[in-house]
Amino acid sequence: MKSLTKFMDSFGAILLAIIWIAPLLFAFWAATHSTSDAVNLNLFSPWTLENFRVAWGGAPWLKYFMNTFMLVTVILIGQFVLTTLAGFAFAQLQFPGKDYVFILVLMQLFILPEVLIVENYAMVSRLGLFDTILGVGMPYMASAFGIFLMRQAFKGVPIELHEAARIEGCGLLGILWRVYVPLAKPTYLAYALVSVSTHWNNFLWPLIVTNSPDTRPLTVGLSIFGAPENGVDISVISAATMMSVAPLLIAFLIFQRQFVQAFLRAGIK
Amino acid sequence: MTTPPFVVLKDIAKRWNGQLGVEGISLDIPEGSFTALLGPSGCGKSTTLRLLAGLELPDEGHILIDGKDVTTSAASDRNLSMVFQSYALFPHLSVAENVVFGLKVRRVAKKERQIKLHRALEITGLLGLEDRKPGELSGGQRQRVALARAIVAGQRLCLMDEPLSNLDAKLRNAVRKDIKKLQRDLGITVVYVTHDQTEAMSMADTVVLMKDGHIQQVGAPEDLYNKPNNTFVAEFIGAPPMALIGSGAISGYGAGQTIGIRAEHIQIVPKGEGRLRCTVNESEFLGSETLIGLKHADAVGLCVLKPGLSMMPEGDEIDITFHDDNLHVFDAAGHRRAAS
Repeated sequence: MKSLTKFMDSFGAILLAIIWIAPLLFAFWAATHSTSDAVNLNLFSPWTLENFRVAWGGAPWLKYFMNTFMLVTVILIGQFVLTTLAGFAFAQLQFPGKDYVFILVLMQLFILPEVLIVENYAMVSRLGLFDTILGVGMPYMASAFGIFLMRQAFKGVPIELHEAARIEGCGLLGILWRVYVPLAKPTYLAYALVSVSTHWNNFLWPLIVTNSPDTRPLTVGLSIFGAPENGVDISVISAATMMSVAPLLIAFLIFQRQFVQAFLRAGIK
Repeated sequence: MTTPPFVVLKDIAKRWNGQLGVEGISLDIPEGSFTALLGPSGCGKSTTLRLLAGLELPDEGHILIDGKDVTTSAASDRNLSMVFQSYALFPHLSVAENVVFGLKVRRVAKKERQIKLHRALEITGLLGLEDRKPGELSGGQRQRVALARAIVAGQRLCLMDEPLSNLDAKLRNAVRKDIKKLQRDLGITVVYVTHDQTEAMSMADTVVLMKDGHIQQVGAPEDLYNKPNNTFVAEFIGAPPMALIGSGAISGYGAGQTIGIRAEHIQIVPKGEGRLRCTVNESEFLGSETLIGLKHADAVGLCVLKPGLSMMPEGDEIDITFHDDNLHVFDAAGHRRAAS
């Protein structure tokens, strides 16, 4: 009985893994073969890189890459600054109404970002940030999840370190910078990985606030590249898809361990 | 001519949500002295130290350091250093970085920092360990890093909050001597919190014994031992502590008083010649002597020391005697009566 359960566990896991990776494998297959070979699953057909060449010429990918890179960087920097300060305030400072404000921040976790798209759109337009990378990143900077994560990390710092730094002459910001931030390094790393992968893949919001190739991130560029009015060529689209996921995929393979740990850490806390 | 005291606490009170923290603490601490705050846990000794450090602010009273009123000053403006019970070393910094942390924050030039660091590490015997992280050090080494950090800036006042309680007994004795020597050599003023009377008695020039947020007695170690202010001090100081006998049990003293007597002043005498008849309760061999615990209806903590190994059977009745000069008389409220 026990061995059967064990077998079912492994079987289920393997099945899920196959289902999960199948589209990626097919995209890889399609990208490296001609269209007709790809759809016929002709296993002995010749491999080709032609699709990548066509796809690369079909859109300003370098610009898109740069935009996505800029976007995740800007968001990450904004998140680090805001969540650090807010998390520190919630963890170690006393101010009236602290608990209520914290509950308000946590309530943000229950609201799907998609619900706020119209309101955010209006806000970004009012600020004159429409069709800018800053505009794309702005709504995500004050992340409730990040604030919560940082608060938990800072709460775990022994109070005596705080007091020792005070006696040694540190001001509040000095203590934050010299004691809390270095000690929360693993949390920052975990949060960075989650944040970068989320915003690299984000699609709906960037699609709405960008309307020029100068600001479009990869996901939006890819969808426009693959839109039916441009003619559907499954192999070329696959090649473009492979190109856009490649950086993240390679990063994942390199940082696999830290990545899984990051999600675990973020989930457990 | 008397020099004004270096640290002055005037009628300090601190309450936690109406509950008592410390009350009416007044203390003068001369420069270059070693003062120990002693007491059972929860007596307010750590609170007093934290008030002095500026980690807490008092509800009432004034604190003066070096003639300056620092009652509401920030901890960083009080020109003092502190050693924490857990050492509070920054785990992400190396030994050297930990020691110069405060100098760096106060923007001391790099060259001067290096000189002071070298000196502090030399004094504490940590040379060669500069690049280790606190996690790679033994308990004793960590303790010395905490000491080095406390002395590196050359502050004249150093506060220590039970710095030895995380060390094993053998190391504790060694470090105790080191700290005392350090304090003498550098001429700094140390205020030292401990619950261990051996530490307080052996290191301090002045012992401040506290209980329930109040100071019970301030004095040199020998004063606390030989002239306890009240029955609490009598029972706290000394190993074994002073025995307390209801005055009714001894002829020549009126009722309603308490008589204190130390074990070394009690002699066992043949039956019929003693002033008090007791029963042997337990015998404890201590090495050079044997501690005989005695039971008497009107006395607590009565015991007598016999040289060498000299166990006595439990339940034996013996007579003891003592000299009137060695008795301490306390009134009904437990206060010491003025010597007549």
